[in-house]
Amino acid sequence: MSGYQDKIKEVALRLLKDGSVDMVIGFRKGTLPMMNEPCFIRRPEDVHQLVWDSNCGINLANYLTDRKEKIAVVAKGCDSRNIVTHIIENKIKRENLHIIGVPCQGMVDKRRIISEFGDTLLDVADDGENLKIKIHGSEKSLKKTDVLQSNCAACIHRNPVLFDELAGELVPEQAGVDRYAEVNRVEAMSPQEKWQYFEDLLSPCIRCYACRNACPLCYCPTCFVDESRPQWVGKSQDPIDIRTFHFLRAYHCAGRCTDCGACERACPVGIKVRQFTSKLNKDAFEMFGWEAGMTLDERPPLDTYKPNDPNDFIK
Amino acid sequence: MKVFTIDKKEWALGIEKAKSAYQVLGPVKEKEWHCFKALGKDEQPDMTYTNTRLSPKFLVQPQTEPMFTYTLDESRPDHHILKEVQEDVCPKAVIGIRPCDAAAFLLVKRNFDAPQYQDPYWLKAYNSMTFVGLACNDPCPTCFCTSAGCGPFHEAGLDVLLVDSGDRFLAKSLTDKGIALLAAAGWNSLADDAGKIEAMKQAAESRIASRISTDRLKAKETTHIYDAPFWEDTAFSCINCGTCTYSCPTCWCFDIQDENRGNTGVRLRNWDSCMFPLFTMHGTGHNPRGAKMQRVRQRFMHKLKYYVDKYDNGIQCVGCGRCIRLCPVNIDIRKVCNQMNDYDPAACVCPA
Amino acid sequence: MNLMEHMGIEPGRLQFSWISSAESTKFVDVVKTVTASVKALGPNTTYNKQAVKVA
Ligand code: SF4
Ligand code: SF4
Ligand code: SF4
Ligand code: SF4
Repeated sequence: MSGYQDKIKEVALRLLKDGSVDMVIGFRKGTLPMMNEPCFIRRPEDVHQLVWDSNCGINLANYLTDRKEKIAVVAKGCDSRNIVTHIIENKIKRENLHIIGVPCQGMVDKRRIISEFGDTLLDVADDGENLKIKIHGSEKSLKKTDVLQSNCAACIHRNPVLFDELAGELVPEQAGVDRYAEVNRVEAMSPQEKWQYFEDLLSPCIRCYACRNACPLCYCPTCFVDESRPQWVGKSQDPIDIRTFHFLRAYHCAGRCTDCGACERACPVGIKVRQFTSKLNKDAFEMFGWEAGMTLDERPPLDTYKPNDPNDFIK
Repeated sequence: MKVFTIDKKEWALGIEKAKSAYQVLGPVKEKEWHCFKALGKDEQPDMTYTNTRLSPKFLVQPQTEPMFTYTLDESRPDHHILKEVQEDVCPKAVIGIRPCDAAAFLLVKRNFDAPQYQDPYWLKAYNSMTFVGLACNDPCPTCFCTSAGCGPFHEAGLDVLLVDSGDRFLAKSLTDKGIALLAAAGWNSLADDAGKIEAMKQAAESRIASRISTDRLKAKETTHIYDAPFWEDTAFSCINCGTCTYSCPTCWCFDIQDENRGNTGVRLRNWDSCMFPLFTMHGTGHNPRGAKMQRVRQRFMHKLKYYVDKYDNGIQCVGCGRCIRLCPVNIDIRKVCNQMNDYDPAACVCPA
Repeated sequence: MNLMEHMGIEPGRLQFSWISSAESTKFVDVVKTVTASVKALGPNTTYNKQAVKVA
């Protein structure tokens, strides 16, 4: 971990000094345990702020949208796939980017730790393998692999797919993980159970749109939920309007979502919003053999036509 | 003002008694966190909770609130006439609210109960409530109430202050409303050790390590802070979700919408947030706060400068720490407040 | 469509067809089968916004 951090700083310093980039986008230490804040560094003397540990779950591709500067960006496996998607969708130019790839071993699910230890958590130290949890007067050690975000625990693309240099050795990809376990569980339900499951899932939603805004894919100038002429969806706490927002948000991410988990991580009330996108990810994989952001050389399945596209749903 | 003692063994009974005169609301755990709910028969508030995830402001200002109904059916004599929706104004007892959240209603009240205009919906709801606060013996690490004009044993905005003292509560009555509620619950034995509260208060206050400085905000030139160079850095990570404002007990902004079904409709008021681009979008398409940085700046300028200047009565924040805990990218009002308070344009050396 | 059904819309309620303006008989057939299958399912009780409740 600290090896990554040193390397990130070293690269950042070099790039800023030799003027090959205008800014470096990475993380700095936050003011709370398990929180790092996305930041930009423009001056070599600020490079020391950069950090890297298991609390860098925010997707930095989100901070690249439409930027015109020359930027070095720190990117985990999923971030790099969203960068690829951004490049394909013309949201950023490849030649303006210097990607510092970080082979990733998963991000910690801070919500799980907070729900276990309460809001009185004082500090969480991370040595790469273990987390040392400090609460009033006592300490506890947890194995990091036991408290990963659920998308990270089932991730099979930990290594960046696109990078200019790496912050560390590539890591072995996980094998034998079931990425769609949750989707399969819901698929097995009856329509009524499914309806109820999502009803319950979304019941705490306050429509803050953190899930949408944390996602690099959601860059529309005006989101359909915000449109008022015409107004597509009501703006109150009506459960049908809330559901409409959620499933349409997911549809807009179909064939583009990298399962980075930023949406789920951002939700203030802990809604598993990936329950929507995971289903589409599974469909994209099963119907088109597609995983988003793996290559710059292929158009996503939903903006291309192939004669063998599955179409038996059209009657 | 009197201090009563309530044996915890008699607590549940008192709550049940109070239910005959009040609708009783209290913190209950739902899914993973606590929220204020109306308590049914034999349902008890969980008085061991830390704080609710979202603020209890929704009790007075619901996220979606019907204001008027109307019909567009021209064969009806009352067509196109807005009819006020009658609120449920039965007496309500809010048990276990944290002192900061109750104090927050007073800050918001300056807006909804101004000399010139009074908001009837907000006031009717607020006035129907009796607030029974629960002092914080163990404040969270993110609480900074003591330097935000409030405190773990703060009394303003409460009708009764409860202090958890092991096997019993000490209940300090602060208003006539509070006295009435204590009487309805049958809690009438006077405490002989009321002095204890002061010592517990000091102990709790000393546990709050997190502080902000606000002393220089008022004297600062608005335009100086407005034009300060730190906003770009502060705002960079913000994703402009409404989490901070929706979870905040002192944010009050709303938006009004009409929803029709056929010929009838309801005029609703929904929470809105200065973090959303739509918030300031004009009909012309022009948006005076079109960029993210302007919106982030607005939130902090409003809470920490405009409000201070307008009411001359402190900042529009009670230090509950929710926005700090819930912000997905760790934008921390404590840091921003200190930055604003310390900012000196003369000392700023621009890199250019 | 898959996601709609995944979140609890009954199979058969949402259908897609491709009908050219020249295929009048197909149009009639599709309308008949869709109507029949939706009738068999009965009214949509889930994904259907109710009027705002006023206290
Ligand atoms: S929908 Fe969620 S998991 Fe998918 S790319 Fe967006 S933030 Fe990541
Ligand atoms: S982040 Fe959570 S609460 Fe906010 S809109 Fe998304 S699901 Fe709802
Ligand atoms: S400050 Fe944090 S919570 Fe508030 S809008 Fe920005 S990202 Fe969301
Ligand atoms: S700490 Fe944040 S959420 Fe709490 S009152 Fe202040 S601004 Fe609002």
